[in-house]
Amino acid sequence: MADAQFDSALDLLRRLNPRDTKANLQAITKIVPDLTEDLLSSVDQPLEIRQCKQSNRDYLLCDYNRDGDSYRSPWSNEFDPPLEDGTVPSERVRKLEVAANDAFDVYRELYYEGGVGSVYFWDLDDGFAGVILLKKGVTPGSQSSGAWDSIHVFEATDRARMSHYKLTSTVILHLSNESAALGEMDLSGNMTRQVEVDLPVESDASHVANVGRLVEDMELKMRNLLQEVYFGKAKDVVGELRSLAPLSETNRDRATQLEMIKSMQK
Amino acid sequence: MASTVEIASSFIEGAPPGELADVVADVQTLTEGEDIIPQLAPAFERYNESQLTTVKLPGSSQEVIVSEFNKLEGNRYFDSESQTSFEMDHITQTASAAQSAPLESQNADLIKSLLKSLSIHAREHYSSCSYGVYPIENDSAVAILLVANKYSPNNFWNGRFRAIYQVPVSSSSTTVTGKIHVHVHYYEDGNVALNTAKPVSASVSSLSAEAIMSRIAAAERDYQEELNRAFVSVAEGAFKGLRRQLPITRQKVEWEKVGGYRLGQDISGGKGR
Repeated sequence: MADAQFDSALDLLRRLNPRDTKANLQAITKIVPDLTEDLLSSVDQPLEIRQCKQSNRDYLLCDYNRDGDSYRSPWSNEFDPPLEDGTVPSERVRKLEVAANDAFDVYRELYYEGGVGSVYFWDLDDGFAGVILLKKGVTPGSQSSGAWDSIHVFEATDRARMSHYKLTSTVILHLSNESAALGEMDLSGNMTRQVEVDLPVESDASHVANVGRLVEDMELKMRNLLQEVYFGKAKDVVGELRSLAPLSETNRDRATQLEMIKSMQK
Repeated sequence: MASTVEIASSFIEGAPPGELADVVADVQTLTEGEDIIPQLAPAFERYNESQLTTVKLPGSSQEVIVSEFNKLEGNRYFDSESQTSFEMDHITQTASAAQSAPLESQNADLIKSLLKSLSIHAREHYSSCSYGVYPIENDSAVAILLVANKYSPNNFWNGRFRAIYQVPVSSSSTTVTGKIHVHVHYYEDGNVALNTAKPVSASVSSLSAEAIMSRIAAAERDYQEELNRAFVSVAEGAFKGLRRQLPITRQKVEWEKVGGYRLGQDISGGKGR
């Protein structure tokens, strides 16, 4: 039954208000405590920010840089609170991690013009894996605000002169707006997409470029998709519920149009 | 710490439009072994009344609204248009034991003309909806309700439009107050929700059904236009401010030379937020 309960928990979180995912996840684990670990590792939530004590730079927290109650900073490779034997990447993968953090810092500045980013890598038996995190919040007017969280998890499996990449990307996007004329408007949610691809690898530096391009393409795709769903689909459904134009006019126009088509076919 | 019944109740009340049965099935699986659903009856009742759940009257194809405004004793509700009362099973969302219930109100004439104007308004702007007008507050006011649902689970979206207005019945002028709620859920490979709440307040110079309905129609139109503008302004404002579609250079990142960016332009140390 555990699998069925896990599936039900995910289904429920896909239905209830995405603004409340964190609270609802906690509530589910109170009913079924055994699901806690699996749910925490498979349900994406808005990322928390912490400041690295060594570098004074902000970094993001997730399940992948957590060991017990401590989180590893990508800038210092140190755990906070300090851990003597915390799990860190191998020397080679840490080198890649540092290079990826540098590269995605540039990426973040170019696309987000601010925000916080963090990249964490870890070793696999036949390759390595990692997560690229990006977070930005805005409050353009006092009555409107937005928050974007990107979570890209990938696995890179070694093949002969190639690597097989599997990327799962989630974007959590919260937008809200309030005014006297509008009242309260909240547009919130998350979308997930996956891609798998084989790419050539000449040296370790290729990995950073390959993952970089994969994430860049995926974010472009997802940004377009979010735009379509948040501002296109949602507005269309409102229009399906209520028609601004009187339906009698719309129906008359449609009937006239049909008549015209018919007469042209004669 | 919240009990299982309290938690499950909050899930029931949080069910998106058209997805209550799915939420109930999930709650049943999560609480397997416990017969919890009967204990959630109060949550189903709150859901049905606040979401303006519609039910078919026995032997009729007509859908009528369940709300706090047309509630009688026990689990009975009444519909003023068909002048029928019925018993509601909140858990299964079905109506039974229908009885004739003549409208007894000193504002019966106003309620009947409001129903007539409301039916015209509903036909003109909602391809499918249910509505009701009921005497409330010891017959000193009337409640005007309208709910429109569109469910398209095969395309992973559902939506609900609710409007709840109250009009105190006085000798001459009055004020329509109320709230419009729009809820849209889209859940293909994700979970996206639009939730809105718009308070309405409009003064009416004469206590006639036509005057009241014309203010309501105007308020609904103004709101829908404002909401459509908000989609554009949020897309152009907050959304654009979060992540650019392309870097300001209009070129994608040159990942092989990504270190070069650091020489050409001073990245602000990543301390921004």
